[in-house]
Amino acid sequence: MIKIEALTKQYGQFTAADAVTFDVQAGEIFGLLGPNGAGKSTTINCLSGLLEPTSGDVSINGHPMVGDGIAAKQSLGLVPQELALYEDLTGHENLNFWGQAYGLSGEALKQRIDTVLDLVGLSDRQKDRVETYSGGMKRRLNFACAILHEPKALLLDEPTVGVDPQSREHLLSAVADLKTQGTAVIYTSHYMEEVERLCDRVAIIDKGRIMAMGTVDELRSQMGEKDLIVLKGDFSVLNQDVLEGFEVMEWSDNQVRFWCANAASQLPELLAKFAQCHIKETAVKKANLESLFIKLTGRALRD
Amino acid sequence: MNGMSMTVAKHSILKTWREKWGLISWLVIPLMMVFLMSLMAGGGPSPTPHGKVLVTDKDQSMLSQFLLGSIGQGPTAEFFTVKVVKEAEAQTLMDAGEASAWLMIEKNFMDDYLNKKPTTITLRKNPAQTILPNMVETGMDVMVDAADYLQMLFADELQKINKMVSTGKYNDADLVLLTLAIKAAIEDVEDTLMPPQIKLEEKTVEAESDDKPAFNFALMMFPGAVFMSLLFAGMGMAMSFWDDKVNGVLPRLVSTPSGIFHYFVGKTTHAKVMFLTVSVVLMVVGVAYFDVNVTLLPLLIFWLVFSGVVIWQLLLFFSLLMPSRKSANIIVNAAMMPLAMLGGSFFPAEAMSDGLAKIGSYLPNGMLLKAIKDVMIRGEAWQSALLWPFVIGLVMALVFWFINLKMVKKLAQEARS
Repeated sequence: MIKIEALTKQYGQFTAADAVTFDVQAGEIFGLLGPNGAGKSTTINCLSGLLEPTSGDVSINGHPMVGDGIAAKQSLGLVPQELALYEDLTGHENLNFWGQAYGLSGEALKQRIDTVLDLVGLSDRQKDRVETYSGGMKRRLNFACAILHEPKALLLDEPTVGVDPQSREHLLSAVADLKTQGTAVIYTSHYMEEVERLCDRVAIIDKGRIMAMGTVDELRSQMGEKDLIVLKGDFSVLNQDVLEGFEVMEWSDNQVRFWCANAASQLPELLAKFAQCHIKETAVKKANLESLFIKLTGRALRD
Repeated sequence: MNGMSMTVAKHSILKTWREKWGLISWLVIPLMMVFLMSLMAGGGPSPTPHGKVLVTDKDQSMLSQFLLGSIGQGPTAEFFTVKVVKEAEAQTLMDAGEASAWLMIEKNFMDDYLNKKPTTITLRKNPAQTILPNMVETGMDVMVDAADYLQMLFADELQKINKMVSTGKYNDADLVLLTLAIKAAIEDVEDTLMPPQIKLEEKTVEAESDDKPAFNFALMMFPGAVFMSLLFAGMGMAMSFWDDKVNGVLPRLVSTPSGIFHYFVGKTTHAKVMFLTVSVVLMVVGVAYFDVNVTLLPLLIFWLVFSGVVIWQLLLFFSLLMPSRKSANIIVNAAMMPLAMLGGSFFPAEAMSDGLAKIGSYLPNGMLLKAIKDVMIRGEAWQSALLWPFVIGLVMALVFWFINLKMVKKLAQEARS
């Protein structure tokens, strides 16, 4: 449904996207994970027709964005990172505007407006001006504007930034619903939990290049199934040698962090080694995408 | 125009309507300026400026009475009311600024005049007024000159009159002799004063002179003020593209199948509707208060909408050249001031120097304003007055429309804010 081949976007000497290649099938949610400035939004902007790639091809539902843009855009919905709403119009008026922009009219438009308002939980506020909405409500309306025309492909560029938990839950469940309806979704975020919860496949992107791509489990396996163990207590009585053979991240008088394969089975034996340290707290964290990202790029997602 | 364009136009009108103060400022500020400027100039739809001249007559002689009468009668009476007051009251009234001028005739004025002695008439002018006090001064200069000539021409006769007045002794024979002497003196100078080559021809003034519009400063200012409204409205609507860029609507529109073209068509429709609204409201005011000819209304409204679109396209072009909303705002404001001032919106071109008026007539708004003033005020035939300005304006509007469409697309795609 969405196909990107060797997409490159350059601004002078700076390469914002470097030979990005992937495709997304109908009914699949594809996560694009990376810190700010990694190239996520550039990729999305090229996909939506806002930017013209320096080289490479982008097509939506079989229609190339360059050459057959109108047909490609008819199958595409975009939820931009920044809000794209008229604050001085009502929620209903905004939906009417974007519905017309996507080619809807008449009774079909009215029905779709009612449906999406219900979906994002804004039916009772539809006649209020957007300037009176909370940040989360604006985000939900921003999302609703993109799905009015039931697009076959949906691009979500960090849709939950600055959103309250209730609105986030609304949005995430709405995206999950779209997947079941067969929509191909590209979801960019730097919120790990969202990507792990929603996405069937994930690409980790940094400095314009895709560093790793696969299902969440496949990517986790690249970490070697190691778990992070965090212990809190008095470690001044012991030497770090006690953890010989483990990858130690931190050793201080009151906290120790280290990587451990198959932590669940080894934990009793490990705790026995620290018996004299008066352990107050023990935590075992499964290897996640963030740890993989740190391993691949050397920096955290929220950098 | 498709549904999307209609929706853009409808929503833009709705937004303008909800932002009432913007709309009100487009209409009210220029009208206020017309009223204020016409008040300052003493003009307006009211007839002729009228002032009060105070006279303190310390002489109370026949001649001083004659002087008083000459000011308060004839054509000057149309401009002035003469009030005879004591010196103290005159001082108070002048200090309060309630009179245009104060004329003081000193004691022995008549005696000194008849005896050819130096004499003084003091004129004090109100500094807060310009036109009326100067008219009094000019009138007094003429009278003083006339009195000098009378002294030269009728020296002997004046001497006899002086004797009669001072002694109070005169009879019919003396008066007849005096009259004959004056007649003879007039006949002596008749060839000089009324040479035969100067022939007075009587001609009946045709009734059409009554139909010509009288000089009306407010009417002269009014079309310029309407164009100022068009400039304000054009400026506001030019900046609305930047608003849509900043609020994210323009970039998002690029990802829709309707795209920027239908958006721009909708915005053009919005502009036309707003210019129509402004024109209709102002023209109704014009008919009610500024003697605008009601039969010209359809033509005037069409011309104002057309002019508004030309001005809007020009200002939009300036704003889209800029790299940010802030700089666009600065450049549009900077462009508007000379356009308004030289184009005849602040001051009528008739009040400018020839050089400035000529420069103003080459500006788009100045050219369009001059054309419509030729029709409204100078009564020229609209076909000839409007033809070339219309052709030039139409070409400008079309060229800028296509350039601006391209530039709005670029604005949507670039990282400007």
